[in-house]
Amino acid sequence: MDLRIADRDRSGVSGLDETLAVLADPTRRVVIDTLARGPQSAGALATAAGTSPPAMSRHLRVLRRSGLVDERTDSNDARVRIYSLQPDRLGDVRGWLDDVERFWTAQLDAFTAHMGGR
Amino acid sequence: MTTDKVTVTTLVAAPPKEAFEAFTQQIDIWWRRGPRFRSAAGSSIIRFEDDRLVEVTADGALALGRISAWEPGSRLVLEWLGSRLAASERTEVEVRFDAHDTGTRVTVEHRGWTGLNAGDARSSAIGLWWGDLVVPYQRHFAS
Repeated sequence: MDLRIADRDRSGVSGLDETLAVLADPTRRVVIDTLARGPQSAGALATAAGTSPPAMSRHLRVLRRSGLVDERTDSNDARVRIYSLQPDRLGDVRGWLDDVERFWTAQLDAFTAHMGGR
Repeated sequence: MTTDKVTVTTLVAAPPKEAFEAFTQQIDIWWRRGPRFRSAAGSSIIRFEDDRLVEVTADGALALGRISAWEPGSRLVLEWLGSRLAASERTEVEVRFDAHDTGTRVTVEHRGWTGLNAGDARSSAIGLWWGDLVVPYQRHFAS
């Protein structure tokens, strides 16, 4: 039993698994939180999270692969990569919560009808 | 602060003890049918069996939840086994039965799905931000 959302959108559900796994890491959550306030360079993100640049680079690769974060080149300096939040992926989580709520609302409606019908 | 839960509530016209018994003993009667609610395409039976909530199908029993608290007339807590989260993520469903006038307020809280409240101080900021996304989806209750 999986709340049956898999029937509606299998790819979305596996994407959600991945999103949550990616967000399970505290450093990556700091990155997401920082980017929620605006785009940043990899260097600034490493400072914000208190990690080394190579470690941050690995986290950013994971975040980029998961689709949570976008990367582009700084318009002033082609050597600098700028990262920003890609909010669509977080919409998956919100949509899933919405499904959870619909699931339990329907179940409690059924239970209420059952109790009222005796 | 807790932002990782969905809460749904209803009122039923029976005292808590009776509501709890109906919820648990008659679950197969009221638990909805169809692909969104049951995994079996054909007929299946939902019931509490030993320490689990199971769906019994022609192919065997599928565990939906593991009972972690069973307090007749008061509350029921299940470790939810079917929410398709990563293995490290644990979700939990609590059903509470609270006396309300002559009936019972039944509250279902499904929580723990983000794993974002691990007590890590650095998670508090994202907890707030995450809460902004979640709040419109919570009904009636704050933590």
